[in-house]
Amino acid sequence: MKLVIDPRRCKGCNLCVKVCPYRIFRPGRRPNERGVVVPELDRPERCANCRLRRLYGRTICGVCQLTCPDQAIRWEEEEAYEPRKVAVEY
Amino acid sequence: MNFMDWYRADRLPTIFCVGCGNGTVINCALTAVSEVGWKREEVVFVSGIGCSSRAPGYIDADSLHTTHGRALAFATGIKLANPDLQLVVFTGDGDLAAIGGNHFIHACRRNVDMTVICMNNQIYGMTGGQGSPTTPRGALSTTTPYGAEEGTFDLTALSIAAGANFAARWTSYHVKELTNAIRAGLETPGFSFIEAAVQCPTGYGRRNRLREPEDMIEFFRTHSMLRQKYDRLLAEGKLVPPDTIVVGEFVRRDRPVLGGKK
Amino acid sequence: MSKISFIQGNIACAEGALAAGCRFFGGYPITPSTEIAEHMAMKLPKVKGTFIQMEDEIGSIAAVIGAAWTGVRAMTATSGPGLSLMMENIGYAVMTETPLVIVDIQRGGPSTGQPTMASQGDMFQCRFGSHGDYSIIALSPATVQEMYEMTAEAFNLADRFRVPVFLMADEIIGHMREKMTLPDTVPVMPVRERTERSTLPFKAEKDGVPGFTPFGKGHHVHVTGLTHDERGYPSTTNPDVHERLVTRLVAKVESTRREIASYDVTNPEAETVFVSYGAPTRAVWQALHDLKDDTVGHFRLKMVWPFPDWVEELFPQAQAYIVPEMNLGLISRELERHVTIPVISVPRLGGALHEPEELIRAVEGAK
Repeated sequence: MKLVIDPRRCKGCNLCVKVCPYRIFRPGRRPNERGVVVPELDRPERCANCRLRRLYGRTICGVCQLTCPDQAIRWEEEEAYEPRKVAVEY
Repeated sequence: MNFMDWYRADRLPTIFCVGCGNGTVINCALTAVSEVGWKREEVVFVSGIGCSSRAPGYIDADSLHTTHGRALAFATGIKLANPDLQLVVFTGDGDLAAIGGNHFIHACRRNVDMTVICMNNQIYGMTGGQGSPTTPRGALSTTTPYGAEEGTFDLTALSIAAGANFAARWTSYHVKELTNAIRAGLETPGFSFIEAAVQCPTGYGRRNRLREPEDMIEFFRTHSMLRQKYDRLLAEGKLVPPDTIVVGEFVRRDRPVLGGKK
Repeated sequence: MSKISFIQGNIACAEGALAAGCRFFGGYPITPSTEIAEHMAMKLPKVKGTFIQMEDEIGSIAAVIGAAWTGVRAMTATSGPGLSLMMENIGYAVMTETPLVIVDIQRGGPSTGQPTMASQGDMFQCRFGSHGDYSIIALSPATVQEMYEMTAEAFNLADRFRVPVFLMADEIIGHMREKMTLPDTVPVMPVRERTERSTLPFKAEKDGVPGFTPFGKGHHVHVTGLTHDERGYPSTTNPDVHERLVTRLVAKVESTRREIASYDVTNPEAETVFVSYGAPTRAVWQALHDLKDDTVGHFRLKMVWPFPDWVEELFPQAQAYIVPEMNLGLISRELERHVTIPVISVPRLGGALHEPEELIRAVEGAK
């Protein structure tokens, strides 16, 4: 699974940056064509839902999606991230 | 089914300001509704006037966006006329506690079978940040430019005193707990009241040194206290800061219900 | 078999509503309409209907609108002060095209006024009381029989046009006991309901009225008091959407006013014409009986709003209109807008009905 931020819905409040326990979001740098600074993804392969949703068959964590006031975060079906890229940080 | 499927995709993005907590609470409510397994045909979303009350317009189900403060009276009519329908009411602090205060206590007293989610942002957001019955003492708003002087309503305590069957309070930071509380409210027969403290960076935070959305979320994180801990501290006679937001489930009981399924 | 009965106007009103299939009543006690609520409280549970006494009239009309959206026939009954409280939500019912019936047993105003005395002071309030442009239908009974029949008919009109329909009675008719015939059945028009889910639930049909989409039938309709487009979605800043919507809300009623109009014409060749509605009609009947003058006619409005503005066609030889009203002249002003000959208002305040002699003197004065 792949996490996607919908740039047409995001208003750039950065609450996802605040609430994500894996810190996969970071504030964006430049405004898009709507003038919104959409957050960027920082090593999204660390996201638990991206990795484990298919395995467990349910949403894992999902706090960013629940918190996002603008319904801009969703997961898309995609090939899993390369396993070697998963770096668990202690 | 994911809560995202309940939205009217053609209506998004919402009209809410950047960082507004209302969207979060709608997410939680829709998650709870889909977890309970209600079908779209059997749920009616009702609201009054205000930012919070725009919520039903974004939900793909029957919805009634009514006049200021009267959502609970409309919902009472729907529920009693057709008890097979499930009622979820979105309301705000101004809508529920000020202009709709009388309907609120009477809906609690009747214990009408419905779930009321109050997005309490402590301000009138839609009209640009005027003081409301829940604006804390000392807080600045456009109609309390020297700090609010009036006392506030504790809406959860009010609902319990008036007879609600279920009452809980969480914040837009506690999304999982809020979802579970709303779900418990949906499953409890009778009047269920869930107060969700939400951030209003535009109307409230901007004037009260919580300018950014994350500042307000951080405030909720650090100033929330579980009800059990709060009660214990009080019992021990310890000092609790006055700006503490006491969260948790406050009551779950089984008083006779009006408008239950026939 | 229809049966002869001797009952009070308010009870006849409640019975008419029940016969028409009304199954929801939301109300608040107010003199002189309370008997309607009391009778509905007694009778509705026996026919699997719902009676609820709300916390105020604002809540009453709100509950009635909510109930109406589940597809049941719903009504409330009140008097002037209660009607004043209901005004905001009456506008909401107009904007959301909610079919419902509001019974106003008028009493002396302004304010608390004369709770137990009759008046016709709310005739403009029901038509113009809420803010913005809109149109409603108002009926005005003059007998207990009409309290029954007009209440039943009000539901048909409400369903057909999806508007609030007012029964503008007064304390005299409401509290009067009179012989009446209770028919076995009343005509009940079927509701035009949409059978399939539409993405345009507020798209009007040819007559300007959209098919009804009650809750719980899978229509997924968003009902809002905001200016909305045909999808039902708010569209508050587009001038065209607002103009189109409000024009349609007014036109759907006003454009049919000739078809739905309801009035009695007595002696169309008359030179002096009484125009009356509600209780003063009874004084006019007596005056006509006493006068025995074939130059005097009577135009009796059963439906006051929309106003039949073609009065002059009905009385081509009229020289003057005499309008006895239990107010300082409301409908007489409306009449003045539509006719070219003098309109003589015979106002009466205080709650007592016009004396027939008073009306006879007015005829003599007009000649």
